[in-house]
Amino acid sequence: MENAIVMKNVCKEFKILNRHEGLKGSIRDLFSRDYKTIEAVKDVSLEIARGEIIGYLGPNGAGKSTTIKMMTGVLEPTSGEILVNGLVPYKERKKNSEHIGVVFGQRSQLWWSLPLIESFKLLRDIYMVPQKDYEEMLELYRSLVDIEPILHKPVRQMSLGQRTLSDILAAFLHNPPIVFLDEPTIGLDVSMKDKIRSLIAGLNEQKNTTVILTTHDMGDVDALCKRIVIIDEGKKIYDNDIEHLKSYFGSYRTLRMRLADDTWEERLIDESREDVMDVIMKKQKEQKIKDIQLQEISTEEVIKKIYEGGNRS
Amino acid sequence: MNMRRHLALTRAGIMESLQYRLSTAVTLFANLIYLVLVYFLWKAIYDSAGTDVVNGMTFTDTMIYLILATALFNFLEMFVVWDMSRSIQSGKIILDLLKPMKFREYTFWSYSGGHVIQFVLTFIPTFIVVMIVTHGAINMGVNLLYFIVATIFALIVNFNMEMIVATICLYTESTWGINIVKETVVLLLSGASIPLAFFPEAMRKIVDYLPFRAVYDIPLTILLQKDGTDTIKGVLPMYGLQLAWIVILTICGTLFWKHAVRKITVNGG
Repeated sequence: MENAIVMKNVCKEFKILNRHEGLKGSIRDLFSRDYKTIEAVKDVSLEIARGEIIGYLGPNGAGKSTTIKMMTGVLEPTSGEILVNGLVPYKERKKNSEHIGVVFGQRSQLWWSLPLIESFKLLRDIYMVPQKDYEEMLELYRSLVDIEPILHKPVRQMSLGQRTLSDILAAFLHNPPIVFLDEPTIGLDVSMKDKIRSLIAGLNEQKNTTVILTTHDMGDVDALCKRIVIIDEGKKIYDNDIEHLKSYFGSYRTLRMRLADDTWEERLIDESREDVMDVIMKKQKEQKIKDIQLQEISTEEVIKKIYEGGNRS
Repeated sequence: MNMRRHLALTRAGIMESLQYRLSTAVTLFANLIYLVLVYFLWKAIYDSAGTDVVNGMTFTDTMIYLILATALFNFLEMFVVWDMSRSIQSGKIILDLLKPMKFREYTFWSYSGGHVIQFVLTFIPTFIVVMIVTHGAINMGVNLLYFIVATIFALIVNFNMEMIVATICLYTESTWGINIVKETVVLLLSGASIPLAFFPEAMRKIVDYLPFRAVYDIPLTILLQKDGTDTIKGVLPMYGLQLAWIVILTICGTLFWKHAVRKITVNGG
């Protein structure tokens, strides 16, 4: 089957003015032609199949948003090829936008002063959704989340959680084959995050929507994504499923030992270099161990290790 | 052309404007104060002139013209420049660019509902008050129909000028100064603050062919049946001027906007 998104050797450079310090520098900048080039995305290739949920991760400033903007057609790649739904997004932005949905964490596409249902109706007409499909979609929404309390509430009176939920529903309304979610759970409480995750999972399952999810919350990744792509400094450094990620630096596990004085001692063990049993035995020769726990390394810890430069050599 | 998208945007605009009832009341009140000022200013001008008719306009003519110009100004006023600079700063413009419509079209129709409301809530009441106070100085005939057509053209010309200024602001990244300059130029050269009849002859000749006149002066001239616009023969050249500017400004505005969007897409805004 044809892929939802194909990226081939995509690069994106920005030219920015070198700013100088101080008043003198500011005046100099007025006439300056001193540009420097920043490579935001370097040679990224990616294929995303229909119906996948991809976790697109990377530290702040790694080039995630730039990639998303290129996929939506708002940015033009400096070199390389992108095909989204078989279209070149920046050349056919209007057509491309009929087949994608977007949620950018802290911005809303909803009509601020109107009740949510009016935004839905408006989007239905803007995307030319047939009435029957629209009603089916609302039915599906009702089966996944409790939308009645927010449906007639003006968006400006909503809590952040309700607004994010509404924005996600709005992005799926025209049943696009691809939806981009840029940090959808930012700033939300635990129970709202959970609601939003199950909503995304539900919509993906029911409509076979491809979802590109960028987030800093590993809970989102663990709950939703089978495959993750990590980029750092504009380069793709990881692209595989989440199980492989855990063994990315060798197989780490955390060993916790409760000692005689009831304190816990924690050690991160690389099983490819030392054996857990050896460590325990060595310790036991020194002092008494009352209890042992062995923990898998969490996704969060692996990601943290990657971001902190495990792979920058 | 399928109007479903456009009418949906108009409908939403109407509903949004109705959320801000108080602001309409405040606008009407501010107008009242402004018009009192205009009244005394022009009264002084006519008193010092010593004649009843100045530049072919009586005091009543001038007042009607200026009152309706103010009402028309409230009705035609757009905030494309402010809104756009805000949505660029917040990054919200991305969401507007990702609507499956041409950006200019989307913007125009998003504002259309507000214009409908302003027309009903500020222009029509002002018009009725003028009618009552002047005991029917305005002819109620086919000129009203001509006027409405001219107003729709005026709306499009005005939108185009707003879009072009908004696009300039995309490049300069500062809005305030440019917008103030634009507003002043439009108010002066369009006849919104001084009737064009009062302009010196040489200047008048130039102003007559500029697009600003198409926004306020032409609809008002047609409404008041001045300058031979009491027959369709006199109206048509006015429409011609408006349409010519619509075509010119639409073409320039579209090309300019395309260039600006390319700049955003290449350099990330």
